[in-house]
Amino acid sequence: MKKFYSKILPLLFLTTVMFAQDAKEIIKKSDELIKSKSSYAEVSMTIIKTDWSRTIGMKMWALEPDYAIIYITEPARDKGTVTLKRKKEVWNWIPTAQKVIKIPPSMMLQSWMGSDFSNDDLVKESSLINDYTHTIVGEENFNGYNCYKIESIPKPDAGVVWGRLLTWIAKKEYFQLKVEFYDEDDFIVKSYLGSDIKEMGGRTIPAHWEMVPVDRPGEKTIFDYHEIEFNYKVKESFFSEQNMKRVR
Amino acid sequence: MNTYFHLAWRNLWRNKRRTLIASASVFFAVFFALAMRSMQEGSYDYMVDASVSMYTGYIQVHAKDYWDKRSIDKSMELSTTKIEQIDSIKHITLITPRLESFSLISYGNATKVASVVGIDPEKENLMTDLKSKLISGKYLTENSKGVMIAEGLAKLLKVEIGDSIVIYGQGYHGVTAAAQVHVDGIVKFTLPALNKSMVYLSLDYSQWLYSAPNRITSLSLMIDETSELNEVHSKVNNLFDEKYEVMTWPELMPELVQNIEVDNAGGIIMLGILYIIIGFGIFGTVMMMTAERTKEFGILISVGMKRWRLSLVSFLESLFLSFIGVLAGIIVSIPILYYFYKNPIPLTGEMAELMLKFGLDPIVPFRFAPNIFIDQFLTVIVIAMISALYPLAFIRKLNPVKAIRR
Repeated sequence: MKKFYSKILPLLFLTTVMFAQDAKEIIKKSDELIKSKSSYAEVSMTIIKTDWSRTIGMKMWALEPDYAIIYITEPARDKGTVTLKRKKEVWNWIPTAQKVIKIPPSMMLQSWMGSDFSNDDLVKESSLINDYTHTIVGEENFNGYNCYKIESIPKPDAGVVWGRLLTWIAKKEYFQLKVEFYDEDDFIVKSYLGSDIKEMGGRTIPAHWEMVPVDRPGEKTIFDYHEIEFNYKVKESFFSEQNMKRVR
Repeated sequence: MNTYFHLAWRNLWRNKRRTLIASASVFFAVFFALAMRSMQEGSYDYMVDASVSMYTGYIQVHAKDYWDKRSIDKSMELSTTKIEQIDSIKHITLITPRLESFSLISYGNATKVASVVGIDPEKENLMTDLKSKLISGKYLTENSKGVMIAEGLAKLLKVEIGDSIVIYGQGYHGVTAAAQVHVDGIVKFTLPALNKSMVYLSLDYSQWLYSAPNRITSLSLMIDETSELNEVHSKVNNLFDEKYEVMTWPELMPELVQNIEVDNAGGIIMLGILYIIIGFGIFGTVMMMTAERTKEFGILISVGMKRWRLSLVSFLESLFLSFIGVLAGIIVSIPILYYFYKNPIPLTGEMAELMLKFGLDPIVPFRFAPNIFIDQFLTVIVIAMISALYPLAFIRKLNPVKAIRR
């Protein structure tokens, strides 16, 4: 009997820990799949509203987690506009006015380039992996992929606005196919849908992302990745105010 | 019936002094109530008028949801025929279009958030008297490509006339609005909130800058008769379908309405106290009159006067009494209140400075409107009628034998 307590009981504990670890591990793997220490990407963002839509083409350089430069290539009127993120701060380079403007704190919650994202979203650091407790709540077939369905509940001290997240992650390939965001009253607020799986930058990932706000039917924001390069060689000095004016 | 009036009237003047004292108490009460109300409502009128012509106008037309979202995406395009239709509505004196947006204003290393407003310079001046607030530089013209910037904001950015500032914000449907513009004029507002945030462009230029050709976010209307507000509102509303919202100043400035309501509640309590004093004054006189005439009533009833006739006469008496007081009060107040309505009492000292800070002239304005007089008239008459019930009860219960023996 003593043997049971000393050997089996820890083992029982271990299995539950392992399960939790497992969910976290899956999330981590899928997160790592689309991230790297540094990257370069060409993306087009299409904003669809009920009565208008607009596509913004951009090139992005990023050095996780603190630095990023986004260069706008499209539409013509905005071409050349550059957004620089350094830690918690955001600067914009406006070629028509030949001026660098630092976004003041009061404007951080304003929409970025007319999208559903705010300036704050660009700089906000919330770690999906560490700020949430993850559990596998099921396995489901989604768009022809066998998926883990993982529920992520924010830890009490995490500065997260969501009540919980549900993520569908392909079992074999580990890319995320769908993320649902629920608010604190457990109403679904928005969902991300990934599709158009293809090989980019040496990895197999969804190249087409849709962000659908559930409370605003007819609206969504679409991201299409045209090119992505992981572990792109870039130095911290690249993300400077001077360089904002030079990149293209 | 005529006889009763006659009798009551004669009874009243049988004891002139008593009547005069009684009606004098009513007179003063009415006079003070009127002065108080006129002053209070006058100051509300003034506050509303000042606030309305400072920015919002009495009525505003927007595209639906603009007021909630304050986004340039909720701007609207109005045809000239629509504007002519609005113009033809009676009491509308001024129609002012605006294209409003929040943007960043940057000069040197300083960047501030400002409320950037595209205006029709002439109409804006007629409505808000903007030209008088210009402290340096020149006023905008219809197609000028410069900006006028509020003095406080200019100070924060360290901008002077002739400098070029950068306006950076979001235009219509997410287009970037960015331009370098020179400062043409500096305007000074007494209200700090405005003085730190306003930037004016000509409407044409702002429509170009924000990629919103022919679009405006609001149409402000001024009217010449405040009392016609609802009438005008419904007429304007009829011109627009549900894709638009037509709002009146209480909806545009609910905080002003609240301030007025809170202040007014205090005024009404004061008025209530005044009415209680008036009520007791009238009631006291009526009681005294009745007590004085106990013997007279007793004799009249003994010789066969019907009690209800007697009651009617004494009821009419107290009514006449109040009428005399109220009418005298109103007649005397009219010229006095009219004088102060035309020549508001100027304030000095700290109070004056405080008012200037809020962008108001330091004056005590009066209201001169029929409703004040009618209200006071009716209230005092009602109080008088209630007091007149006392002699009725007294006469009904009167024992003639005891009354005569007194």
